Amino acid sequence: MAIDFNILIGGAAGQGVHAITGPLAKTLVRQGCWVLFVQDYQSRIRGGHLFNKIRVSDRPLLSSREGVDLLVALNQETVQLHQDELAPDGVLIYDASKVKELPTQGLKLALDPDTLLPEQRAAEIAVNAGASGAILGLLKVPLEPMMALLLEAFGAKGAEVVGWNHKAAAAGYRLAAGVNNGHSLAGMTPPAQPRLLISGHEALALGALAAGLQFLSGYPMTPWSSVLNSVGLRAAKWGVVVEQAEDEIAAINLALGASFAGVRAMTGSSGGGFSLMVEALGLAGCSETPLVIVEAQRPGPSTGLPTRTSQGDLSFVLSAGQDDFPRAVLASGTPAQGFALAARAFNLADRYQLPVFLLTDQYFADTNFTQEVADFPETVEIDRALKLGPGAGAYARYAITADGISPRRLPGFGPELVVADSDEHTPDGHLTEDLAVRVQMHDKRLRKLTKLVTEMNGITTYGPAAAPLTLACWGSSLGPVQEAVARLNESKTPARMVHLSELWPFPGGAVAAALKGAKKLVMVEMNATGQANRLLRQETGLKADHLVLKYDGTPFTPEDILRGLEGHA
Amino acid sequence: MLPLELYQGIESAWCPGCGNFGILKACKQALSELEIKPEDLLMVSGIGQSSKFPHYLRCNTFNGIHGRSLPLAMGAQLANHELKVVAHAGDGDCYGEGGNHLLAALRRNPNLTLVVHNNQVYALTKGQASPTTDQGYKTLLQPEGVAYPPLHALALAVSQDCSWVGRGFAGMVEHLTGLYKQALTHKGFALLEVLQPCVTFNHVNTYPWYQARVYDVEKESGYDPENELWAYRKAKEWGERIPIGVIFKRSRPLLEEAHPVLRAGPLVRQQPERPIKELLADFF
Repeated sequence: MAIDFNILIGGAAGQGVHAITGPLAKTLVRQGCWVLFVQDYQSRIRGGHLFNKIRVSDRPLLSSREGVDLLVALNQETVQLHQDELAPDGVLIYDASKVKELPTQGLKLALDPDTLLPEQRAAEIAVNAGASGAILGLLKVPLEPMMALLLEAFGAKGAEVVGWNHKAAAAGYRLAAGVNNGHSLAGMTPPAQPRLLISGHEALALGALAAGLQFLSGYPMTPWSSVLNSVGLRAAKWGVVVEQAEDEIAAINLALGASFAGVRAMTGSSGGGFSLMVEALGLAGCSETPLVIVEAQRPGPSTGLPTRTSQGDLSFVLSAGQDDFPRAVLASGTPAQGFALAARAFNLADRYQLPVFLLTDQYFADTNFTQEVADFPETVEIDRALKLGPGAGAYARYAITADGISPRRLPGFGPELVVADSDEHTPDGHLTEDLAVRVQMHDKRLRKLTKLVTEMNGITTYGPAAAPLTLACWGSSLGPVQEAVARLNESKTPARMVHLSELWPFPGGAVAAALKGAKKLVMVEMNATGQANRLLRQETGLKADHLVLKYDGTPFTPEDILRGLEGHA
Repeated sequence: MLPLELYQGIESAWCPGCGNFGILKACKQALSELEIKPEDLLMVSGIGQSSKFPHYLRCNTFNGIHGRSLPLAMGAQLANHELKVVAHAGDGDCYGEGGNHLLAALRRNPNLTLVVHNNQVYALTKGQASPTTDQGYKTLLQPEGVAYPPLHALALAVSQDCSWVGRGFAGMVEHLTGLYKQALTHKGFALLEVLQPCVTFNHVNTYPWYQARVYDVEKESGYDPENELWAYRKAKEWGERIPIGVIFKRSRPLLEEAHPVLRAGPLVRQQPERPIKELLADFF
């Protein structure tokens, strides 16, 4: 029987949901399980309700799914909110000092802080470490790897705190070790090659670092901030200047200044903050300054739902800014793809001298996936596409060329002067109102797309090629859609997935070829109007027969997609 | 001293008699005397007549968007702190549209010079009030006169320990050249405001108006530019007498010193080596 169950850990913000999740998820990955956990939280620092849902399997996981098998309740509200999801043979582990009303179904395991750590008054540690230990006891996973992780996590707080954690974890383990339930991991063994537990934004940050990122500027905003934090943590080690800007307008202009001066630079935000950057996005386009921009989507309009997920900014990033200028838009489906596309974004930005978007969302940002080392490249190509040698006399930053790409020099690297301008400009970079030059220069910029589109592809297909039902999707919806397609095929409904990760310039020929043969085309996306479907129609003339849309702020599950197909599959 | 022709830019689009010509002349003179070569200089600007300045001077240039010269300049300076970075902005550009960046620059103390061309009017958009327009000044948009007092940007700068604060007058080129030389060689954020008559739209704050009011503050008895309370009073002085010269100086740590990675030299000269195996190591 395949292993596939969900652990939901819930409580108020500040109670320790993350303190339990991190070491537990890592322990299970080290034990050879495939783990995927989603984070559901509110826009507040303390209180409210938040939960992490950890899916555990003996097979690779691409998606979360519905249902709860082990429910860890740090407060009464968690029981009230999630007891209906708890399977009949599920297990409830609860803080007995806080939870008084229990559901009728399933096994129940009470954690009493005073029993777990009788001589100390550290009730939160007792329950958090006790719950971690209890889960491992239930699952029949050895406790030692968790003990090492608790030392790692709390070592900085001193030996006493580590001791309390160890003691409570051991007590929780003993409490649960004798309890039999249907979710044993006793047969799992650590993999020969250790696997990674990594979130989408962490992988994206690593991809940027691998590509030679040297300058990152940004203003905090959920869910974009985790990119800023992931690089910031590693800035000293890897030689990156990270500057927290006074606002998003400053953030993008700082990055443009750094890029102009010659380093690989990145900025980013979520929808509201990116709205502030739009004028300077045009500056990147007009001045042909390479720039990588992360746009981490959350539901809008305006402040919307700050901590939830969405794919509602696709149309916005495709058209943000006045008039036409070339840009590229990439949207990853997995952390490993996020790593690769982040690295690719810098090469595209440098080669074509334009802004490149990495379009992510809260689900991609916060969800932790198990990945294999082999999912990541061993090296990444770094192509700065710069001209730094001696020049032949005068240098024109915006020389008119056949492919629209003008040789790029850097200021301070020789006698050639580099002149960049937001005004319409002559080839040597000076502002002009010569209308013939304007047309020539506008055409030159747009001509870059002709070559760029030939480099675009990024299509992932899954399922039998001849399947009449095709589910198209993009960005972070890859996992849930792929699992929905797998389940359809298992239930004898032939289906396939076509996932797009390179959305602009739109690889229309390749996409049309991938969709050829689709008798019924369904577009699956997390917005209310089918933005990618409109893009598909605009670029290929094809359009979906049916849309599966979700925009309540929670991520797709395979079950959502299957329900959305009812009557259409 | 380098030949002045070295700095000859493209033909200007400024009005004949514009105060900007005096600023350009002083700037070129200072660069030539300091022997700053065009290729070692980066001029950054926003939008407005003042922001066309870098085009009229031969140098590396990034002419950005309205109000944003400072973040553009700071980004370039962080990427290559060997470049001599100078930002040119107008009163509307720097004190209005880009005000937040001025506050942040005052905190960061980047090693760059900011020259604010202050003509007390929005000239490029044909005569509306600017943040420094005097109270009561009538415009098409403010026919009853500007209701609010002007922003005392230099007093703001002094209050936030700006590393170097000075004011010049476009009608006194030699004096302004001296200020440029000091600002360009100062280690830290140097704010040089230049009173710049707008001959087309500002018929109140004219050359004679300024000439009758400006005085060399450095020749006053009690001149004390390292005393912030003295400097604050001088920075707020406006009306019958307007001080020009160096108003405030304070030594502070530089922006580039806040980033340890820059101790190894300019970022753009560094070659980052990041083996992917080592990058992934945190996630097992």
